[in-house]
Formats: sequence, structure tokens, C-alpha cells
Amino acid sequence: MRVLKGMLIAAAVAAAIAVSQVWLPEEPVGSTQTGITPDPEWLRLASFGFDSLAADYYWIQAIQIVGDADGAAGRSREIGDLLEVVTRLDPWVDHPYRFAAVWMLDDEAAVRQANGLLRRGIEAHPDDWRNRFYLGFNHFFYLGEREEAAAVLEPALALEGRPGYLDLLVARLKVESGGLDAAAAFLGELIRQAPNERAQAAYRESLYEIEVERRARILDLARERFVERHRRDIQSVGDLVRVDPPILRRLPPEPRGGKWIVDEFSGSIVSSIVGHRYDVKVDGTNRELLRKFRENSRSSEGNS
Amino acid sequence: MNAEQEIVRVERLVKDFRPGFGLRRKRVLHGISFEVQKGEVFGFIGPNGAGKTTTLKVLMGLIRPTEGACSVLGHDVSETAFREQIGFAPESPYFYDFLTGREILDFYANLGGVSSKQRPDAVARVLEKVGLAHAADARLRTYSKGMLQRVAIAQALVHDPSVVFLDEPMSGLDPVGRKEIRDLIVELNSDGKTVFMNTHILSDVEMICDRVAIIVAGRIAYQGGVDGAIGGDERRVDVTLLGLTPEFAEQAGSRFGAELSGRGDRITMRTPEKQVSDLLSSALAQGAQVEELLPVRADLESLFLHAVEESSGGSES
Amino acid sequence: MTGKGPILAIAHNTLRDAVRNRVLYVLLFFALVMIVASALLSTLSYVERERILQDIGFSAIRFFGAGIAIFMGVGLVHREIDRRTIYTILSKPVTRAQFLLGKYLGLLATLWMQLAIMGASFWLVSGISGAPFDGGHLTALGLVAVELAVLVSIATLFSSFATPFLAASYSLGLYLVGHLTRDLRAIGEAGNSEVVQSVTVWIHRVLPDLSSFNRVIEAVHGIPIPNTEIGAALLAGLAWCTAFLGISVVTFARRDFR
Repeated sequence: MRVLKGMLIAAAVAAAIAVSQVWLPEEPVGSTQTGITPDPEWLRLASFGFDSLAADYYWIQAIQIVGDADGAAGRSREIGDLLEVVTRLDPWVDHPYRFAAVWMLDDEAAVRQANGLLRRGIEAHPDDWRNRFYLGFNHFFYLGEREEAAAVLEPALALEGRPGYLDLLVARLKVESGGLDAAAAFLGELIRQAPNERAQAAYRESLYEIEVERRARILDLARERFVERHRRDIQSVGDLVRVDPPILRRLPPEPRGGKWIVDEFSGSIVSSIVGHRYDVKVDGTNRELLRKFRENSRSSEGNS
Repeated sequence: MNAEQEIVRVERLVKDFRPGFGLRRKRVLHGISFEVQKGEVFGFIGPNGAGKTTTLKVLMGLIRPTEGACSVLGHDVSETAFREQIGFAPESPYFYDFLTGREILDFYANLGGVSSKQRPDAVARVLEKVGLAHAADARLRTYSKGMLQRVAIAQALVHDPSVVFLDEPMSGLDPVGRKEIRDLIVELNSDGKTVFMNTHILSDVEMICDRVAIIVAGRIAYQGGVDGAIGGDERRVDVTLLGLTPEFAEQAGSRFGAELSGRGDRITMRTPEKQVSDLLSSALAQGAQVEELLPVRADLESLFLHAVEESSGGSES
Repeated sequence: MTGKGPILAIAHNTLRDAVRNRVLYVLLFFALVMIVASALLSTLSYVERERILQDIGFSAIRFFGAGIAIFMGVGLVHREIDRRTIYTILSKPVTRAQFLLGKYLGLLATLWMQLAIMGASFWLVSGISGAPFDGGHLTALGLVAVELAVLVSIATLFSSFATPFLAASYSLGLYLVGHLTRDLRAIGEAGNSEVVQSVTVWIHRVLPDLSSFNRVIEAVHGIPIPNTEIGAALLAGLAWCTAFLGISVVTFARRDFR
């Protein structure tokens, strides 16, 4: 009896040490840890069966980052780590996957981390087309990976509740080179899903940019023809109609009545309202689009 | 002394305890033997730590004997079924705080094998008997220590056992309460029940016990009748005299073998009974006045102290 | 071991004493506060509030259930010895095994009653907040009941030979470890050390796997729990209770009450 007691005391001490080890704050490991978010596997141990509660706690932390006055800019990694914890502890959560898609946009690495989360979401909810839709959008819109986007979206064609135009979208992703129609289709769906007027307006803004891009591309073609014919570049966009014979009978109108100008830094033809060219692939140089998209997303996320 | 008359039989009972992990065993009972006869009130007495409660716990099956045999009503104490016929009241017990006296006694009656039909009556009867009827429906946490002591006795009686074991039944009681419990024990005894009682309050033993065993440091120092114990010593009388000179008192003390106490001209001389008349005649001749003559009972106390003194030499091994 | 009369009498008495203990209601009160507060806390999130509400509710039920089980379980036998009530009970025709089983069943009944109260408030709060409550939730609550049965048997075991403080430490330790064994095994199997792997596998085999009684996530997400897994959990629960109570009975039978 006494021996048993002694052994039990020893076991209890050992258990206490093990537990205290588990509770030790995790040092940032490599670049994947921000230091405030524990490693999911350790947390799973440390939560002692209260996994879902811990998941909720870190989920609310993630929400709070986005709700901060400073916003989520530059904090993709933090959000990613938090959502990593949330989705590892409780893979059947629903919204956090799409939250990742919407807020983790700082750079390509962030988008790819979000994609990893979305894939986990697809695994946990194989019958839900939305995670596939967001993953496809990320591939196409931010990473310029049309084929991956198509591959991700294709299985969604068989899922219930999918939007009707999804077939068309996938078809376009597969054949179209520029991707503007696909982008328009994606945005059309986002507008449909947007919970309120403000969010819809934000997505309409993106649609407008796509229309501007479509028209700018016509101007690009005309400009190439001009260079071929005259062995010199245009001075201004007006040259395209002023030369004889005119390359364009008239300039396509900027949809909101702006002017077409040659951007002095990039040298490309841009709308005086938009000020830059639309680029489906997001990287560090195209932060403006990123900012706009984030705003759109925020208004759709934050006001639902 | 046939077997049927023997209610409790303890034979060469040895109990060792290990005080702690890895420590050497300590012998608490050194092979004690005694028996309790049917219908008697048996006093098991001894100083604190002598092994009274340990012995009682062995009899109740709460502690296993290291060596030796113990039986109650002819059953080995490791059995349980015969316990319907015994009752046990431990010293200063607590019970479930949030139950009432009636509920707790109903519970014990149930355990003691009283049918559900008879329980309310049995409980009411025993509550009356121990003087708790007025508090029957109050929760035990509101009970005083004395009342809890009565609950302990009541639960030992509620299933109408033929033998009752009481561990320090008077402790925690005021003089009135003690008298009531004494009367209760006498009453139980006259109902034909055998009573085994641990105590260190000797006056109680003298008043109610038929026989005693004195245990000192784990050994039985005396076993037998209370009267026999008292008769074994020489009788003395306290003679209190007024108006004696100290010189005479001292002389007389050595002459008659008396012990002196007192002060001034009032002196008490504890004198052997057969010397009293000689002492008185010589004192009266000196002009002294006799204030009091008081026979000293060669009581349990002196017997007890004697036993303790005798065994104090070799017992603390 | 025979005769259920004394067992039931002791169980009934234990239950009756426990339900009148105010400390119990303080704990129960906190549990109910948490369940109600879950409705407020869930508003911290703007989505999936029903899920978060039920996560918190279930967690409160499990936390306070386990807390009350350990809190009351560890004193179960020790208090009786300390207060010498056990002397009077064992001086009646009651075996030690009957005493132990009676105490166990009495406490278990107390806990299940509390679980029923907490479950009912959970159901009520869920209903008011528009969160679903169906068979999955009932199953999860049922498995919490089984877990509590195991936990009380653990506490009874430790209570049968250790002081309440030590018994509480041991019980809490085993409860926590019981929630680790499965994850530890998974970690061990993911690693490439064969020694670690076999150690974690054996830990998982030898100690109770309490995570098999935790189906809260499934219930909250409406994911069906396979009947075979429910059956296996019930069987495991029964086996562990039997094992722990069996050891308790054996250690208790050898014990001296000094």
C-alpha cells in the first residue's frame, strides 16, 4: 500500500511536470510561429479535451485582429497561425476557412497559406462548394494560376447549391487566356453572395476595373498596330485616332467618363480614374488592387 | 463458562501497526485475552493510548488482527452477517451533516436489517430512549456534541441488538447527560443486553459495570469483578481531628501507620481500619475533637493506578 | 458482495446527503451561469454563434461535471473514515465492498442528476438562441455521463486509500492524462522513434482513453457519431468502472481503519 502510494506520488509529480511542460509558452519555431499562437499539436494536448473551446477562443482572437483599428494589413501571418490552430483543433468549423481566404492577402505566401487552410476546409466539408469557390478564386485572382483554379472548381460542379454559372466559369478558365471574363464571373458571384448593398457596391467597383481593363486592352492592341506602322510610340492616347489613317475610329469611352492616359512611370495606357492597370496576379508591386479588394471583402465580411 | 454464555472472546490478540512508510512495526496489543459473559456490563478500561479503541476496532472488523483470534457471539469478527445482533457507538462521531436525526436513524435501522414497516416505530422508540425526540427532524449539523453522542448510541440500538459496544459513551456529555447515559446502560442491561464499554471515567465503571478488564500499554493488567478489585486492597479510614498538637499528630501517625494531611489544628489522618479505635482513644485522651470519620474506598482508581505503575516498567518496548 | 439492500441504502443516503450540501449548488450555479453566459460570449463572433454557444455550453457541462465529480469523489470514503461514520456503518451487517459500491452509486446518482439539470438548461438556452438540439447532442451528453461514471470510479479508488488532497491530485492527473493518451499516441506514431511509439501506444492501451467519451465537436457540428463507436465507448466505460471499482474494493478490504 505504502509502495503504491509512493509510486503514485511519483507518477503525479511526473504528470505535473509533463503538464507544466505542455503549458510552457511556445518559442517561435522557424518562421511559421508568431509567438503568440501556440503550436496546434501542443495546444491539442494542453486543452485536455476542451479542443473546441480552445478553437473558439483563437477564432475570436482572429476576428479581433480584423476588427482592430489598424485592420488586418500586414497581419496575414498572425491570422493564418490563429486559423491554423482553430482548424486543426476543430476541422469542422465552417466560416473560418473563408475568413482565411478573405483576410490573408498580404503577399503570395499569405495567399498560399490561406489556400492550405481552404484545402483543409474542403476535406472537412467535401459537399460544400464555397470553399472550392474561394480557393479557385485565390488561385486565379491572386496567384494567376488558371489551371489550378479550374482543377479546384471542377469537382464543385457536382455539388448541390452551386451557382448556375459555375460550369461556364470553369469552361472559361480552361480556355481563356486573359481571364477577364472569368474574373468578371467570379466577381458576379461574390456580388450575389455579398450580404448587403455596400459590399455589392465594392464588388461592382472591381467589376468596373475589369471593364476598364477590357477596354484598355483594345487600346494596347491599337498601340501595337501604331508602333508597327509608324516605327515610333504614341505621344498620347489621342494619337490612335488623330493619325491618318486613324488606327481607331474613336477611343472606347472610359466607363465612368474618365480619360485614357499614358502612365508616366509604367508607360502603359491607364484610366485617369483607376490610375493603374488591372493585373490578375497579385504580388508586392500591385498593392493598390489588394487594398481595394481587402476593403471590399471587409465590407462584405464585417457587415453581415 | 460455557460457549453460549461467552459473548466476546479475545484470545492472544496481537496487533502491529506500521507508523509510516518504511518505519518499523510498532506493537500496540501484546497478545491480550479476555472474555465477556452474557448479560453483563463489561468495562474495558485503561489510560489513553493503551489499546482500548484498537481492541474495540478489531472486534468491529475495522482492523485486522495481526495474530490471535477474536469472536463475537461465536462468529469470527471478519464475518459480517452476525452484526445484525450487535450495535456499536464510536467515540465522538460525526454523521452526515445534512440529514436529520430521524433520517440517519432510519438509514442505520435499514442497514441493521429492520424492515421498512417497522423502521418508523423503531426509530421513534430509540429517539425517545436517548432523549432526542425533540430534535428528531433537525439536521445533524445543528446538533451539539452531546446530541451527536446520543445519535451514536441511538444508531447502535435502533435495530435492537443483543450486544452493544460503546466507545467512551460519556465523553462530551455534561453531568446530567452522563447520568442519563448511565441509566440507559443499566436499562439496556436489565433488558437482557450485554454491554461492552470502553472508558477511562472510572466512577462510571464503578457504578454500572459488573466486570472490568484493565488494559495498560497493550497488556491486560487486571480482569475480574469490580467488587473483587476493590476488596483486594486494605481498607482505610480518614479520621479528621480538631485540636491536636502537631507533635502528637506526628507521633500517632507513625504509631498507627497513618498518613497525615491538613493544616493547623485540623488534621486528617488516613488510618488502617483496625488501628482506628486505638487512634481515637489516644486522641480523645489528648482532648482532641473528632470532626469526621470517613471510610476510604479502595476504589478502582487506586487499583487502576496500581496497575499502571506495575506495568510501566516493562511495557514501553 | 451479495445483497443489494445495503448498497442501495448507502447510495440513497449518499445522494440525500449530497443534494442538501450547499457547496454542490454553488458549483452547479457556476455551471448554469456559464451555460447562460455562452449565449452572450457567442456574440463575440459574428458567425457560427450557435456553434460557439454550444461549444461553451458543453465545455461548461464537462468542466463542472468533472470538477464536481473529483471534488466530491475524493472525499467520498475519506470523509467517512475521518468522521468515523464508516465505523458505525461497517459495524452493521454491511461488507466493505457493499459500502464502497453504495457510496459510488450514490455519488454517481448525484452527478447524473446535476448533469440532467445542466443538460436541461443547455437545451433551454440552445432553444432560445435558435441553436439545434437533437439526438447527437443527447448522445454527447450521454457519453459525458459515462465519462463521469469512470471519473467517479477513479476518484473512489484514490479516495479509498489517500487523503482528499492527494486523491484529488491523482484523480485530476489521471483525468488529464486520460484526455492525452490518444493524442500522445498519434504524436508517437507520427514520429520516427520506435521506442517513443511503443511507449505512447502502451500508455494509450493501459490508461483510460477519456477522449472516446468526448463527442462534443461532432454533436455541435451535427456530424453523425457511428453507433459502433458509441457502443465501444459504453463498453470501455463499463470496463474501466469495473476495473477501478474492483481495485478499490480489493485495496479497501485490506485496509485498517485507525
